[in-house]
Parts: sequence; structure tokens; C-alpha cells
Amino acid sequence: MRKNPLISLTLAWSVLAVVPLAQPQDLPPANQWIPEEAVAVIELARPEALLDPLLSQDLARALGALPVWQQRTATPKYREFMAVLGYLEGQLSTDWRTAARKLIGDGVTLALGPQGEILLAVDARDGNLLDQLHQILRGFAVAEAAKQGQADRVTSVEYRGVTGHSFGPKEAHAILGRRLLVANQPKILKYVVDLKDDPQGRHLAASPLYQGAARAAGKGAVATAFVNLQALRDRPGLQQALTAASNPLATLLLAGTREALKTANWLSLGMYLEGGRLILKAATDGQPPAPAQSAAFATPREPGTGALPNLAVPGAIAGLSLYRDLHGFYAAKNVLFPERTSGLIFFENMMGIFFSGLDLTEQVFGETRPEIRLVVAAQRYDPAIGTPAVQWPAFAAILRLRRPAAFGEVVEEAWQKAIGLVNFTQGQQANPGLILDRFAHRDTKGTVAYYRPPAASGQAPIDARYNFRPALARPGDYLILSSTDGLARQLIDALDREQAAPGPARPVTHTLLELEGAQLRAILAANFDHLVRKNMVDKGTTQPQAEAELGMLLTLLDCVGAARLDLGRPSGPLGARLELELKLPTADPPKPAQVNAGAPPPPNTTVAAR
Amino acid sequence: MSWEPLADPAWAWAPFEPSAAQPWDLRQAGHLYRRAAFGATRAQLDQALAAGPQRAIDALLEPAADVAAFNRSADTYEAAAASGASTHELRAWWLRRMIETPHPLLERMTLFWHGHFALSNARVRSAQLMADHVQLLRRHALGSFREMFEGVLADPAVYLGLGAQANRRARPNLPFARTLLEQFTLGAGQFTDQDIQAVARAFTGWFVFQQDLRYLEREHDSGPNRLLGRAGDWDARQVAQALLQQPATARRLVRQLYRWLIAEEDPPADAFLEPLAVELARDYQIGRVVETMLRSNAFFSPLAYRQRVKSPVEFAIGLVRSLGATVGTTQLGAALADLGQDLYQPPTVAGWAGHRYWLNRFTVLGRVQLAHTLLATSKGPNGPWDAALAVGPQDRPTAAVPQLLADLFLEGDLAEASQQALLAGAMSAGADAAQRQPDGLIECAARLVATPEYQLS
Amino acid sequence: MPIRRRDFLKISLGGSTLLALSSPLGESLSQSAEPPAPQRHDRDTVLVLLQLSGGNDGLNTVVPFEDDLYHRSRPTLRLAAQRLHKLDAQLGFHPDAPAFGRLYHEGQLSVLQGVGYPDSDRNHDGAMRDWHTARPGLALCPTGWVGGAIDHVYDAADRDLPAVFVGSTPTPFNLQTEKAVVPAIRSLSDWGLAQSTADARPLPSRKRPARSAAAALPSQTHPLLALAQHITRRAWASAARLEAVVAEGRRANPVEYPPFGLAGTLQTVAQLIRANLGIRIFAAEFGGGGIGGFDTHANQAANHGALLRQLSESIVAFVADLRRDRLLDRVLLVTFSEFGRTVAENGRRGTDHGAAAPLFLVGGKLKGGLIGSHPSLSDLDGGGLKFQTDFRRVYATLLDHWLGFDSLAILGERFEPVDFLESI
Repeated sequence: MRKNPLISLTLAWSVLAVVPLAQPQDLPPANQWIPEEAVAVIELARPEALLDPLLSQDLARALGALPVWQQRTATPKYREFMAVLGYLEGQLSTDWRTAARKLIGDGVTLALGPQGEILLAVDARDGNLLDQLHQILRGFAVAEAAKQGQADRVTSVEYRGVTGHSFGPKEAHAILGRRLLVANQPKILKYVVDLKDDPQGRHLAASPLYQGAARAAGKGAVATAFVNLQALRDRPGLQQALTAASNPLATLLLAGTREALKTANWLSLGMYLEGGRLILKAATDGQPPAPAQSAAFATPREPGTGALPNLAVPGAIAGLSLYRDLHGFYAAKNVLFPERTSGLIFFENMMGIFFSGLDLTEQVFGETRPEIRLVVAAQRYDPAIGTPAVQWPAFAAILRLRRPAAFGEVVEEAWQKAIGLVNFTQGQQANPGLILDRFAHRDTKGTVAYYRPPAASGQAPIDARYNFRPALARPGDYLILSSTDGLARQLIDALDREQAAPGPARPVTHTLLELEGAQLRAILAANFDHLVRKNMVDKGTTQPQAEAELGMLLTLLDCVGAARLDLGRPSGPLGARLELELKLPTADPPKPAQVNAGAPPPPNTTVAAR
Repeated sequence: MSWEPLADPAWAWAPFEPSAAQPWDLRQAGHLYRRAAFGATRAQLDQALAAGPQRAIDALLEPAADVAAFNRSADTYEAAAASGASTHELRAWWLRRMIETPHPLLERMTLFWHGHFALSNARVRSAQLMADHVQLLRRHALGSFREMFEGVLADPAVYLGLGAQANRRARPNLPFARTLLEQFTLGAGQFTDQDIQAVARAFTGWFVFQQDLRYLEREHDSGPNRLLGRAGDWDARQVAQALLQQPATARRLVRQLYRWLIAEEDPPADAFLEPLAVELARDYQIGRVVETMLRSNAFFSPLAYRQRVKSPVEFAIGLVRSLGATVGTTQLGAALADLGQDLYQPPTVAGWAGHRYWLNRFTVLGRVQLAHTLLATSKGPNGPWDAALAVGPQDRPTAAVPQLLADLFLEGDLAEASQQALLAGAMSAGADAAQRQPDGLIECAARLVATPEYQLS
Repeated sequence: MPIRRRDFLKISLGGSTLLALSSPLGESLSQSAEPPAPQRHDRDTVLVLLQLSGGNDGLNTVVPFEDDLYHRSRPTLRLAAQRLHKLDAQLGFHPDAPAFGRLYHEGQLSVLQGVGYPDSDRNHDGAMRDWHTARPGLALCPTGWVGGAIDHVYDAADRDLPAVFVGSTPTPFNLQTEKAVVPAIRSLSDWGLAQSTADARPLPSRKRPARSAAAALPSQTHPLLALAQHITRRAWASAARLEAVVAEGRRANPVEYPPFGLAGTLQTVAQLIRANLGIRIFAAEFGGGGIGGFDTHANQAANHGALLRQLSESIVAFVADLRRDRLLDRVLLVTFSEFGRTVAENGRRGTDHGAAAPLFLVGGKLKGGLIGSHPSLSDLDGGGLKFQTDFRRVYATLLDHWLGFDSLAILGERFEPVDFLESI
């Protein structure tokens, strides 16, 4: 690979940009220098809040211990970059961490224009250091340009008392006091210089859209982002993304969110750090679908309704709680998903058989309440039967019936017909079928179906079908449809606990998603070999490369304790809140990812014997 | 194509000796590697040039590397993919095996037999059975056809694939019998309707239950039966023996091997192939006939040179192997199916028609797109594939690389005018910035492999 | 999530596109271009074969509203006479297919009533295979009837591949060949055409250096190379022509297609017809692959209506598009489905697998009107309608009289033609 000083230079700049430092007292806030036309703006008001954890020696040591990191840093490019960094440290007589704080510590603002314009404003805490660094880099650029016989590429121009510099055709910058301005076109820089001197200038800070977004983002954010949806609305890409999808499941999941974005003028994002947790809040001024609209099936109407808290079961990997009126959803199918796919018709035909000709919309979905919960959890296999070669977590849906007494047995009958049909088709293909059985847990009776254990059970991994012991149970007015009876039993317990001690009142949301990093990691680790092989043929990697890649993913999951996403909060039509519990590596790093290095699955009483 | 010296079969099948008229050069080395492997890297071509033709062929027949160890490891990966009804995963692993194997001739011959028996998972519907079937073909690909054929007749997949899972006494399976005679052994025109009847009756009693082949005595029609003019109470085993004793079987196999290893154009006269057919009929050792063909004057003659159309698999695997690279094979398998060659799923019992049928306006454009994808996603041992590395030492001047790529892919077969026009275009596409040079080379490589010459093997 | 095949083929193209390449023959496109349309055939007629997967309920598509038995057999699914789009005093199109009514009265849509075959199969796979192979009952038939036509026509070396499949579902079995490779065109961007720009095309060098005679492979003495060169030249010329059609389509006022998948497919077919590539048969599928959307065993009313609306509106846009360019006279679109449905409802507000059903013919060279009479609703074939016209007679008519191919060689039997074409 040819040595290319320009690359090093770019890298050095990018490090400066990424490693962000509050506002110089002598200049107005950077957002008053951003033209109103900006379509997206990211502001780091307190770069230190991010810099401190990122620049900690602990993290560096922890990362350094990762094999993947070692692999990446072994490349000549990285070594070249480190050499340049070392040289800069020497010249500035400081270490790069301190320099980064001094250079960026007062704030970073990045703005994007409608035609791909880019403007970056960096407020340094130490103006002298900024000037010093600029001189050195300019020296680099001049030398490189001369070497390529294009000495006139590096230029400096005076405009209204400001000196603008350029190192190449796609870059222009200027230093005003302790603020560095970088743009991808010289004319943007000129525009900013004009704007700052113009008392009538239309800058971002004065825009009502931006002000609305800023109010929604609130105070105390480490970083905020503003997107001008009004300006972007006509873009074909966004149009396409917001137009109703023909996929019923996507329509069901994204309901409400899409409609809010369609009518919104702005989107604001705020990032907060609260005691080891990273919180992202999103808000728009978009309107929820009106009651008469087809997408209104996801909007909680009555006070106190909304998505229920997720059910806590041992070994939970994920919980998704939805507020969706299935009856309203299906009644509006001609509008929501007009295409009649083979899959949809098959589903209707099957439901027609299972429910003996009841009308799917009115007589089936009409019997369910809008509170729907889905649970995914680790499962433990009966050692007497064996462990499948590919391990699936158990999963279940928990619905609520309007008239459990009248409709419960209808569902039970449909369920048994479904199992019977599966058996019939499996039999046609000379495959093993399911044996139907009843089970009782507490006061609840249920139906379970299981496969006959393999003839030679023992050490060898068994067929993937042993991941499934499909079960149905009807505790109270709830209906549990589960991939294993083990999970069904745990859900009966969880519903009991919920009944006995209802959780605290929660803000009204229509979607609540929770993920448990350690459990997700464990199920991936349990299928490590399978995933490695898949990676090998999908990407053409060698086994060690595939293992390193998956190891990296597991390591990342090690850094996430739990994640939680709420959608549709009352604060605004679209409110979203993502909470990530971070477990950043410490000086004592977790073991590099290996097979089964994750937390063992918790006891999950999958009962094998009847 | 007629070429005077080849009029004499004895000379045609005698070992090739380089001469002033037929020198051992880059073109011949490339030719050998296209037919006896899936193409070669520049380093392999240089080695072959230094070794001379016969020793280069030695290395292809008996590679120095531990082939058994490689195949054991490949078998393990494949075993994990052999479940369910779909063969998509298997397909990906076979393509990967083709890319990585130290014994490419073995895989090429396995592919040949896959086309010969042409079993399709469209009917078998079991990855495990298809994996076992191809494993059987691989085991005997360069060994004994007798053993392979006996294995095929004991393979439940074959019965399922030909709709012969129930050979009842009352309903002898005529299409199955016809395929046995017409595709597997004698060939069209070498048998009568009565022979079809006889073979079908001989196979009554054989059933496939839950993927196992079983024999039910009570369903076997044991009455007297006349096959190929001989009366007897024929059973499956005896039928196999009788079919192998027919000279027509060896003749047909040799003709197919000729098509695979030497030329699809201009089918030769029977007399030309007769020495090899006689040789094969002795003990049905495939490897020996393959060796004779590869070493022969005929093989290194204009009769053979670029007288085959590369199949999609040969096109893609050849490209990747010649760069010494690897590539993700899951999507590659699907792309090759789009281009007409779906591994584990030949179109009919006649296998892939090959030859000019591989090429039409759409497949030609599809090949160009696939080449772009392969070139852009190919990986070297330490990251993305690097054209400059693939064609020689790092210190070669960058400007020489396009020419080196042309040598690697086309060995001077492209008219110089065409080549200059192509490469000039490619360089100008990459000339806008110094950083984009690698892309310029990918462009170069893509143009070279899009040429009509490159489509020929 | 697996990367879809189309994406795989597109990934690498990035900024550059197929046509950004110079011709792999090292010639400029102007040098390699051939006459715009292949004029070797005696005809340039085009057949668009549209499969309605799942078994369309013909009885609720073309409704015998005057027949009392219809109303009695279908207590929940019957369609009231006043909502129908009348063909005549007896029959009307489904309320959601007004577009069919308009086309019918303009003479561009014919209804071929009661099409089926003897001892018809009632299973999706078996029945569809019969329609695909045109060899009913021959379960192991290795090729489809269009595939047979392709192999038959393509066997002459200088001819272009005569048929393609357009759509994103798996290629149907009727296109299964023994020899030729039939492409599945998902969209025109498959061939790197949509984003392509003409100015990105490099100009190949004009100067011709002295040829080193020993090196190059001489195509004069190498017929296989000459063939590969010929096909490559035609491939590049085709790509250029398609690109021009797509570019022109963006400039000129395009006919508006409704936002359905089928409409997109038919729009692609129209572009391919306009590019005049010598493709004689386009096969397409409606019903989402698999068993198919028309298999309405339960809650049929709303689903069938939605399907017929998409079908009729997509076809009408297609017709308008072709008519604008005066191409309609060259084009004949024919629908088919593996079977009709039972006359009686099944108790689940649906209908089950039946037998005969109507076919729809759309084009500029039709006799028009109703062909055949409506099958009896009392004299049934296992609950379904009895057939009057064997579908192989339709195939034979299409092959012999519309495409100018030899139906005897392709279908293996001679069938009496059906009289639905204007004499051409």
C-alpha cells in the first residue's frame, strides 16, 4: 500500500472531530451561525460528558485486550496513524487525550444542508492550542501538495476580515477566536461569515421549528439532534419509507409511529447519560391518527389504557408489549395492506378451518382486547431427551379475551385443530408428529403437544424440532400461546404475580420493547458454532475470522445490560424513549467471547414427563 | 474443427510432447488448469510452466497437499448443513469446497457425475439424501464407475428423484428403467422397448420407506425376462452387471468425458474414441481414462482449445480461484441458479445441456454483474482481494497490472486491439483520483472477464 | 435477514453500471449495435401469460346474475345484479372490476368461458402442473409447455431467447426447459439499467494498433468464439435499447400505473416490449407465489374483490400504456388459473377447488365479446363447473395463430383452434 500523507491528515482531522470540548465567552452560540436552511443538526453541548468515559484509560486497556481490537490495530494504516498522532503530541507537547479535551471541550455542532452541504463548528477551550495545531497541519498539507505538484491547492483567502483556508477542493475552514469552522464548500464558509455579521440574518436559533424541537429535547442533554422534516418530507426516499407497507406485520408494529412522522415538521433527539445508562429521547410535533383513520387501532383512547408492563419470567431475553386493537386493524386491511399475498390468504384459509367458519374480523379478532404481549425466554432442555443442535429460545404470545368464558373453548378447539393439521401434513411427508396432552399448573389447565423422544437419546445433539412443545393455557381472561409448556407455566406464575401486586402506574405508551443483553448473548453463544458456519458461507470468511466477528458481537452485548424502548408517550404525539444500561468494560475486562461464555440459562422448568 | 495430425487416434491419445508448433506456454498451462481444475492463480501457472506439462498434470492428479484431511473438514461443515428439505445451505458449502479444495480435479469430476446422474432435489426434497448422493459421487469420481453405479442403484435418493420409490410387481416403473438405460449407461438408440420392460421388471420389489431403500420379495416379479437378447430371471444386481458389459456403456461414458474434458464442439467419430472406450471397458477405472485424456496430444490441440463454454459454476469459481481469493457462497449459489446452474437441482434427467445453451443475452449480462459482485466482495487471506497482489509481487509497477490481469484471465487470447480498447476505458474510469486505483483495477478485471473469449473454457 | 438475490447482484455496481462498461468486444456500442429489432421472424407478436395462482373463482368474476341457482348456491358470497358491470343481459363482472367492463365494451377484452380439461386435478400442485406442462396426468413430465416452445424455437442458433419470466416469485414450471436458460427479470434495475447514464460510458480508443497475429484467438476459424461474440454483441445492444426505453419513459408523460405489485410487473413487461428485444412470450404471476392468493376457502368476499380490483386496474394501465405507443395490436395478454371454484359456498364464507373457469384475453387484435356459453350451474363436475373448451386448444391457437410457432411439435398433439383472434 502506498504511503499517503493525505489519509493520515484526514484521520487526524477526524479524530479531532470525533473526540469532542462549552462555549467561548466571546462568541454567540454556534447555532446562531448555522443557516436556517439546515435540514439536520447535531449538537454536543457538553462534549466532556462523552469524552470522559471514552477517553478513560480503563476503556483503552479493556479494548486493547480484545482480540478483534488487536487484529484491527495490527494494520499498517493504524500504525501510520499512531505515528502521526505521536508526532503531533510531541509538537504540541501534550498527550492526545488532554489535547482533545482542550480542542473540543466547549462544544461541537454539525449541520447538514439540503444539497449535501456540511458545516462543522468546533469550540475549543484552548485557542492557542487550536492555532498551533492548525499551523502544523497546514504545514503537512503544503508539503503534500508540493509533492504532488499541486502546490496551489493549499490556499488562504481573506473575506470580510476573516481568513479562510483550504487544503483541497472539497474542504474550507476558518478560525474565529476559539471557534473552528469547517465546510465542504468555500461558499458555505462565506455564507456563515455573512450570516454572523447580519443582524437580520436568518439563523437556526431563530427558527420556530428548531425552537420547538429544542424545547422538546429539554435541558441537560449531552447531545441533541434536530431534523427538519418539513424540508425533507418531499424526498422520495422518506416518502417511500412512510407510505403504508403492504406487509401486515410491519403495519401492525409500526402503526402510530409512521403516521406521526408523516405529519411532523420536526424531529428532535436528545441523548442523556444517567448513572451508567444511556437514554435517547425522541419527539416530534406530528399528529396521531384521528379516531376515524385506519391507523387509529394503535392509539390508546381511554385514560389508563395502553401497553401493559412486560411479564417477568426467568431467563427473559425480550419482552414486547403492544396496545393494538386487532379488530380495528383487520377491519382496515383494504387500506392498510391492500395486496393479497399468498401468505395472507393461507392464513385466512387456516383460520377459517380452525375457527369453523367464524368471521375472522368480527368473531375472532373482535373477541380480543388490545393488550398484547410477547415474550422470548431462554429454555433449558430435559437432559433425558437431549439438547438440539440449533437452540431456539421459547416464545409466547399473551392475549386478553373480552369474553373468556364464551370464547376460551373456541380458541382451545381451534388450537387442537391446528395441531392436528400439522400432524396430518407432517405425516404426509413421513415426518414425526405431535402427541396432544393436557397439563395443569396452579388452577389453570392447558393443552401441550410434544414429540416422541428420539430413540437413541444421549449425548449427540438432537433434531431442532425438540425446541418445541407447543402449549395453550387460559388463566383468567388471558390466553397464552407458547412454544413450550415450560414458558406457559412461568407465564401463568407471572400473571398471578401481576394480579397480586400490580406494578406502579406507567406513562401511556402503545409499544414497549425490553431486551436483556446478557440473555441475548447467552442464546447467541449457545448457537455459536451454527452462527460461525453461517458467517463463513455468507461472507466467505475463514473459521477464525468468523469466530472473531461473532466474538466482537458478543463483546458488544457484554456492554449492554438491558435495553428498553417506549413508543407513543403522552408528552407528544410521537414520543420515544430508548434506555440502554451500559456496562462499559473496566480495567478488568470480561473474558474474550467464547462458546458458552455467557450467563447460563436460568432454570426454566420445561417438564418432560407427564 | 479438423486438424490433420489428429486423424490418427493412436497419436491423438499419445502423451503430449511440446514442440515448436505446439509449445508449452502460458496458454496451454491456462487451458490445462481450466479443464483439470477451476482455473489457476498466476503463481500456479508459473509453477506449471516451470514443471512442464506432464509433471503439471501429475500435480493435478495427485496433489501434494493432504486432500483427505481437507475433505474430512469439509464433510464436517457439510454434515451440519444437511438437514431439512432445502439444499441451499449444501449448495453454499459445495461451492466453498470448490473454491478451497487442494484437489480441484476431484470436485470438477464430482460435478461431472452430478450432471451425469442429474438427480434433482426438486423431487428428492431432502438435503441429507442429496448430500449422501454427492458424497457417493465424490468417493468414486476418479475411481471405479462400477462401484459408483452399484452405489447409485443402492441410493434411495436416486429412486425418489426418478419417481421410483415404489416398484410394484403390478406396476413396473418404465420411466425409471428408461433413465437407467438412456442416461446412466447405454445411451439413446442402444436398447429396445423390451429392454426397458425387462429392466423395470427386474427392479420390482424395491421401495423407499422413510428415506430407506428396502426390498420386498413379494413385490418382485421373478418370472423369466429377456434383457439385451438374453433370457433369465434378472434382478437389479444382474442388470447392473449386464449393462456394464455392454460396450455401448463405456463408449457413452468416454464420449461424455470427452465433452467435459476436451470439447463440446464437433462430436468426434466413434473410431476416434474407441481406444479409450476399450480401455475403460476393461475395469471401469475412470481416473486412468481421465489421465489419458489430460496427457494427450488431442487435449493440447486446437481441437480442444477454448472449445467448451464455461458453465456458470466454472465461470464464477474459476474467477475466484484465479485471484487466490474467497467469497461468500450463499448468495453465489442463488446467483448461479439464476444463470442456469443450480447445484443439486439440474433441470431434467438429461442434466445441464451446457455448450451454447449457457449463453444468451440475459445470462451474458448476468455474468457481467456477477463478476462485478465477485470482484468487489472477494477476500484475500488478510482482507479485501487486491488485484496487484493477485498477479504478482508488490513491486511491479501499477501501470503493468492491467496487462498482467489480461495475461491471467485470457493468456493473450484477446485480440490486442480489443484489449487496448477495453483497458484504456478501465484506466480512465479509475483515473480521477489516485485513491480509486484499486477500483480501476476491478473495472479492468470485470471488463476482461466479460469478454466472449473468457466465456470459453 | 438474508440478502435478497437482487441485492446481491446489485451490490457491486455501486456508482458504475453495466453500461458504464465499454462493450467487452472492445468495440464501441455504435460498432457493435445491430439493427434495432430482430427481424428474422415472420412475426413480432407478443404473448403475455398471466398466472392467477390459487384457483380463481370464475363464477364471482363473471357472474350469471339471472341464474337463480347462482343466488341460491351462494348465500353470503352472491353479488347483487345492480352492483355488477354488465356484459349482457345475463352476465356481469364483479363490482370491483369496473375496468374489465370498460375494456370489454371497447372490444379489447374477450371472455373465454368454461375452460378446463377432462378429469381435472383438484389439488393445486397437480392441477397447476397440468396447466404448466399441457400434458395432464403426466406427473413426471420434465418440461413446461412454454419451455418446450423455447427449446423448439431457440434450437436455431441465430435466434434470440424467445421467452422470459417477469416477477419476483420463483419462476413457474411452464417455463421449465430442457436446454435453454430462461431468465427471471425482477425489475429492469436487475440489469443495471435504471441508474445508468449515457455520459458515464467511456469512449473506446479508436486507434487500432498492429495485431500480433500469433496471440489472439481467430474467430473466423473458431465458430464457438464467433457465437459467443454474436451473443455478447446482442446482449450489449439489448442493454442499450432497454436503457434508452427507460430514459425515454422518464421524460415523456408516463402512463400512471396503480401502486400494486402486479402493475409494476406489467409496467416492466411494457418496457421490455417497447425495447423490441425479440421476446415473444412474457410469463408473469399474480397471487404472491406459493399456493396463491386466489385460493379463497374462507372470508372470500373482501379478498377476492381486492384481487380483482388489482388485476383489472393493473391490466387497464398496461393496455393504456401499450395503446399510447401503438403497440397494443402486437400484444395479447391471457390469464389462466389452475381451476375454478365450487359453485356452492363451503360454510366458511368461501369456496373450494372446482373445475372449469373463464379465461380473459386482452389485446388489440381480438374478435371481442364472449366466446362459448356459460357452463350450467346444475350439471356439475364434482361441485365445479364442467369445461367446454380444453385449455390445450387455447395453447395451440396461441402457438399456431398468434405466435406462429408449431403447436404440434411443442404440444405433441394437434388441437382444434379456438376462434378468438381477428385474422392477422
